[in-house]
Amino acid sequence: MAKKKRIFYPVVFMILVTAFFTFLLAFLNEQTYERIEEQRALEFQTSVLYSLNLPIDQMSEREIISFFKNKVKEKSISDRNYYIYSENGITKGYVFQFIGDGLWGSISGHIALDPDFTQLLGVNFTDHSETPGLGGRIDENEFKEQFRNISIEDKEQVIEYGTASGGNVDAISGATSTSTAVRNILNNQIPIIIELTQKEGFDE
Amino acid sequence: MNEIKKLFSLGVWKDNPVYRQILGICSALAVTNLLMNSLVMGIGLIFVTAFSSLTVSLLRKYTPKHIRMMVEVLIISTYVIIMDIFLKAYWPEMSDALGPYVGLIITNCIIMGRCEAYAQNNPPFLSFIDGATMGLGYTAVLLFIAFFRELLGFGSLFGIQVLGDGFMRWTLMVMPPGAFFMLGIVIWIARNVFPDQTEGGPVNG
Repeated sequence: MAKKKRIFYPVVFMILVTAFFTFLLAFLNEQTYERIEEQRALEFQTSVLYSLNLPIDQMSEREIISFFKNKVKEKSISDRNYYIYSENGITKGYVFQFIGDGLWGSISGHIALDPDFTQLLGVNFTDHSETPGLGGRIDENEFKEQFRNISIEDKEQVIEYGTASGGNVDAISGATSTSTAVRNILNNQIPIIIELTQKEGFDE
Repeated sequence: MNEIKKLFSLGVWKDNPVYRQILGICSALAVTNLLMNSLVMGIGLIFVTAFSSLTVSLLRKYTPKHIRMMVEVLIISTYVIIMDIFLKAYWPEMSDALGPYVGLIITNCIIMGRCEAYAQNNPPFLSFIDGATMGLGYTAVLLFIAFFRELLGFGSLFGIQVLGDGFMRWTLMVMPPGAFFMLGIVIWIARNVFPDQTEGGPVNG
């Protein structure tokens, strides 16, 4: 009799404790689910708008969400999502997601092109694992702002480093590998994206 | 009151979890390249350790001894998930910055260690204080390490640039090896300040 109790009690106790904490967590998860999703969406939308060179610094969270909802449309071609930004029915830019190899891990982000596909409107990096303080500085505006309004017409290599020697962007000093990786990703991705836009079914 | 004072001096100073008990090292190495990250990680750990100890202590008389570790892990993981959800919902930037380390608080031996060593045999309130002060000791060491790593590696403190533009960033400090050097130095100093009785005096050399 005593032995039976020793098995029975721990099992019941464990089930009760587990049930209690699981319900607690399920409740909290339910309460915050919407907010977490909103935050995720906001982060993504901010990145898309930033790459389009829109003044996100002057916009509140609400404004970003409603701006994105009203003026940006999501489409996809060849399993790749892209975003069309239009103002009063006139297309102002296209944003494509990209992913490529960085120094330590992959770098992903957004590339924005103008409606004629002749100019790079901007670039933003959403995810990377570059060295903090060195390659990690690709997150800094000082670096990212250099990619604004770069012509991509009739060029094999869109991004060339060294503004002093005829390039269009300055690399991050001390982070040669990351800078090279970013250049290669962009130079590879832009022709691929241009090719996508010429495919049938690409929304004008 | 005396008991609280004693716990405080043990947790933060004499029996500090990081440099005396050598617990929680992985996260101490991982998040200390920025003061802000260390502070949030520390607060998280204080929260989780304090409430886990409290809960374990409340349940200690009803918990069968042979399944107590299962119960402890369950309780700890609950508080860690609460912390994770909270950061994701209200501070997504910090959640991104800390990455997987928030979830990994559950593997921090300090918490399990306190539940086992203290909360199992002591009343809830004292267990709560014990957990909080051990967390505080952990936070103090993290902040100490992060102070030097951020200052030397980025030239900033809490993200505010304090060393001029001419300062040459010492990148090694913000890379993982910098953490090993700093932690080693901290433990070395601590070993000299508080000689280990069981080894019969200070370790020289």
